[in-house]
Amino acid sequence: MKKEAQLFKSLADETRLKMLWLLMGREELCVCDIMGVLGTTQSKVSRHLRYLYHLGWVTDRRDGVWMNYRLSVAPGSPEDKQLKLLAEILSSRPEAQALRDRLEQWLAAKGQGKDAAACQCS
Amino acid sequence: MRAEARFFKSLSDETRLKILWLLSGTEELCVCDIIDVLGITQSKASRHLRHLYHLGWVTDRRDGLWMNYRLAVTPNSPREKLLKLLEEILAPQPEAQALRGQLAHILEAKQGSLCAKRLKPDRQRSPRSLPET
Repeated sequence: MKKEAQLFKSLADETRLKMLWLLMGREELCVCDIMGVLGTTQSKVSRHLRYLYHLGWVTDRRDGVWMNYRLSVAPGSPEDKQLKLLAEILSSRPEAQALRDRLEQWLAAKGQGKDAAACQCS
Repeated sequence: MRAEARFFKSLSDETRLKILWLLSGTEELCVCDIIDVLGITQSKASRHLRHLYHLGWVTDRRDGLWMNYRLAVTPNSPREKLLKLLEEILAPQPEAQALRGQLAHILEAKQGSLCAKRLKPDRQRSPRSLPET
């Protein structure tokens, strides 16, 4: 049952929980998007994303200097069920909604090429 | 969202996961039952149970020398949903089923008596007359 404990451990860290929540709302996100929204350093974001990658939660795609990540959980898998439960719990939390709003603002600003979101990813 | 992370942290430890799995299959368990089934020390079992207690997963009841624990989840709470998910994930697993089987075996051998084999002989005969500690 070590594997199950490890699965739940993925969600036992606030930063990882936020990342999964952000990824759940979009198809794919660049490391720089997550940095921008969470206001954390690139090293912290990348470390947690690699952790999630090695446990099979996400897949990566390189785009120039930046890495992009998307969720890769199989429908009906324990991971999928955990994400659904997480979504259910978080959807009623104002803090979680605010994060999603911030992500939309960030992506909109990036689309308009504003300096605030000037990471050179497409 | 720190509370949610802490919530999932309850299940991020293998021993706590096993304890919750055992508790969700029965009404109440003595610390000694958990010690026997999981083959862990009393201090480890008690530490994890206190952790779960402080996070609101279980309630306790003292019975002589031993503490008894039961799940304290309200219907439709996130906690209950997480337990159901755990149940769903673990139920098909032989390792998890073996744990429940072991527990049933131990409880049957005990047959309602207190954790007799761990008490001194004179206490074994009349566990109810234990001095209040």
